[in-house]
Amino acid sequence: MKKSVLFLFVLIPFIYSGCGKGIEPEPEKIREGFGGNIIFSGEWPDSVTRTHIVVFKDPLLAASDFNAFNLAFVGLNIPKGTVILNYSTLDSALYPVNTKLQAGTYSYIAVAQQSTLNLTLNRSDWFVAGVFYVPGDSTIPGMITVRKGEFLDNIDIRCDFNNPPPQPPGE
Amino acid sequence: MIKILVTASLIIFANVWISAQTFSVYGTVTDKEGLPLPGVNVIVAGLATGDASSENGEYRIKGLAKGEYIIEFSIIGFRSERKRILLLSDTKLNAILEEEAITTEQVIVSAGKHEQKLSDLPVSASMIDNRDLLRYNFNNLRDALKYVSGVNMVDDQLSIRGSSGYSRGVGARVLLAIDGIPFYTGDTGEIIWEAVPVNEIERVEIIKGASSSLYGSTAIGGVVNLITKEADQPFTYVKSFIGFYDKPSHEIWDWSGEYRLFNGQTISHSNRFGNFGFAASFTRLEDPGYKKNNFNKRYIGYLKAAYEISDASSLKILFNSLNQRSGNFIYWKDSRNALVPPDADLGQSVGSDRYIIGIISDNKLTDNLNLIFRGSYYTTEWSDETASRNSSSADQFRGEVQSNYRIGSLLLVNGFELNSSRVNSNLFGSPESFGAGIYSQGEYLFSFPLSLTAGIRYDYNKVNDQANSSALSPRLGLNYKLNSNLSARGMIGTGFRAPSLAEKFTSTFVSGIGIRPNPGVSPESNVTLEAGILFHPENLIIDAAVFRNEYFDMIEPALDPADGEVTFKNLVRARIEGFELNVSPPVADFLKINFSYTYLYPRDIHLNKILKYRPRHIFNSSVSYSDNGIESGFDFRYWSKVEEIDFELIDLGFVPDGDKRVAVYVLDFNAGYNFLHIGFPGRMYLNVKNMLNYNYIELIGNIAPLRNIAISFELFL
Repeated sequence: MKKSVLFLFVLIPFIYSGCGKGIEPEPEKIREGFGGNIIFSGEWPDSVTRTHIVVFKDPLLAASDFNAFNLAFVGLNIPKGTVILNYSTLDSALYPVNTKLQAGTYSYIAVAQQSTLNLTLNRSDWFVAGVFYVPGDSTIPGMITVRKGEFLDNIDIRCDFNNPPPQPPGE
Repeated sequence: MIKILVTASLIIFANVWISAQTFSVYGTVTDKEGLPLPGVNVIVAGLATGDASSENGEYRIKGLAKGEYIIEFSIIGFRSERKRILLLSDTKLNAILEEEAITTEQVIVSAGKHEQKLSDLPVSASMIDNRDLLRYNFNNLRDALKYVSGVNMVDDQLSIRGSSGYSRGVGARVLLAIDGIPFYTGDTGEIIWEAVPVNEIERVEIIKGASSSLYGSTAIGGVVNLITKEADQPFTYVKSFIGFYDKPSHEIWDWSGEYRLFNGQTISHSNRFGNFGFAASFTRLEDPGYKKNNFNKRYIGYLKAAYEISDASSLKILFNSLNQRSGNFIYWKDSRNALVPPDADLGQSVGSDRYIIGIISDNKLTDNLNLIFRGSYYTTEWSDETASRNSSSADQFRGEVQSNYRIGSLLLVNGFELNSSRVNSNLFGSPESFGAGIYSQGEYLFSFPLSLTAGIRYDYNKVNDQANSSALSPRLGLNYKLNSNLSARGMIGTGFRAPSLAEKFTSTFVSGIGIRPNPGVSPESNVTLEAGILFHPENLIIDAAVFRNEYFDMIEPALDPADGEVTFKNLVRARIEGFELNVSPPVADFLKINFSYTYLYPRDIHLNKILKYRPRHIFNSSVSYSDNGIESGFDFRYWSKVEEIDFELIDLGFVPDGDKRVAVYVLDFNAGYNFLHIGFPGRMYLNVKNMLNYNYIELIGNIAPLRNIAISFELFL
């Protein structure tokens, strides 16, 4: 029986030497994304409960395009009354919780607001206050492509509460 | 409904009000040489009556009605004897006991709601005793349960033989009870492990497999019953411990740059004045956490008051409180920041106040009939400091009447139970629920060493104005003693679980994940089959079991791809098969070794996939040394790498690097000295947990405790 006790004491370090340290951190990654300024003008509506920058991969051509799999980024709440905000997708976000925006093409970048008590993903609960347009063309929402390791500046959005942009389908 | 219950209770108890002439069993207990044995416990099996043999070895048990009885003779150092008699008049019954090595067989009360030896059970069961809880400095019961064979934990969720995955802290598939009183919350239906007054627990009984035929909803995967210490002697106990978390093994994880100190204190006092006894304790625990924003500060209050009204009647009152504030840490920021939460979660915390008061009245109405009443009121209130500002208060009322009635070799355990919950919350709404259950179980001891158990329970559940649900849970079990060292057992049982109010009505965001209500989610159910053997000669114990659990309409959280939100749905038709082996080989009086291994094959049989968060292999072993007041030991725990996790949360970016998971290898060390050996009433322990600082997770994106070292001191006055 002494042998079996000895075996146990010998066995355990062997098990450990085979299992290593367990979980290890990922090697550091190069972060990509974009940023710019959001400029608000006019009176903030009293009913607004939250305001976020939202980024979609594909254009919002139908109400069904407003879904979690098309959604690429939701920034943290922009405090009511803000006049100008410098933002970056490398900052903390509501979604994704911590992974940063991935390289790819983004077709709809906007500032959207809600008046509901709780945060929802229903299209009808959202109102778009401002959209990113390519400079010189305010008719079609601007599309950008973020390449691996690249950060794009000057993705600016104007939000004029007196002159809101056209709303995507599903209002 | 009330009429049905009244009628049913009348039916249950009507047959027991029979008066009869009574007789005595008497005789002498001797050893093989014919010398009288004083102090032998002579009891009537299944009844709370008996006698102890006198200096001359004589005993007498009076007041027994005409009938068939089994008389048990037991004393430490001698092999126990059981003798069957047919009592028609005063009867003489002598016994000769044979000497044996000192062994005491464990007695358990949770399997059949009455006292049974482990070797007499039709189901698998395990126990943790108070000495182990103290020796390992367990301040949270969930940490102790991780070392039980066939048990694994995912965060706070207990899984017995793969019963549970991870359902975000709502619902439980194991019933936790304290002295038989269910101990889970009225809103989320979860077990608050932090509330358990660990130092006041005499033993923890763990019943494996569906037990709804006696316990109703939630006992679908098993039962954990906490048996509190008796308040029967003047005793003051003081415990204090201090410890620290070691630095993480990867430098980039060292967010604080310091050793994180934790500490705790307990003071407990019990006394007895005539027929009145009490035990009271207060515990303070403080842990800043090895993870950022994972602090915890809690206060646990406990009171047990017991009054012996007469030889046949007693009343116990239990009170337990938990006041706690803790930081929120659900998932890591990423694997490079494994001990830091996402920026948005920083500063989030939860405060909670929970109080339970229970009353247990035990009445021996006749020699053959015990009537037990259990009532409880559990009130909980919590609120968090998050963007959603979630808060909830819940009141839960329970009442149970149980009778244990013996007719010859048949023991009938009957009862009914009522419960009601009221919730007021900004994330669950204000639902109300009502439940009722009625049960009956018979246990028959044949003249040859076979006991047969058959039981059934009917449960009714109603939530708000929704259609009611009901469940019928039968069970059949047997235990056959092939010889004095070897017993075989078998059980087919059923279980069910009504969804908690949180699973039906939760509407919130947690760490960026939306949870949507689903009032239509319905109860889940299962069927458990088990066969096992227990071989227990002298100091050797070998216990082996094979089992199969069929789950129907299993409730699991599911992510809806349309909106990225989680709802609780009846999703899974699951099958969990496996086997379990526990071995305690004989080594020496001062040295004990235990091994246990459980193999699980848990799968969704519709999707043909392994169930989430269930390891296939669970292995535990321990070596402990105890001699001349010195105690020391190693414990080793292995869970194989879980194959299925919430991959959707990783794909959607909620848990960066969330697929990082490994097999669990944990080695703990403890050493202590009992100063009573040098005349001082104290004890000291050193505990090193996760000795090799192995990094593992139980829940994705959440590193389990780093190596931590603690010293505890206990004083007995």
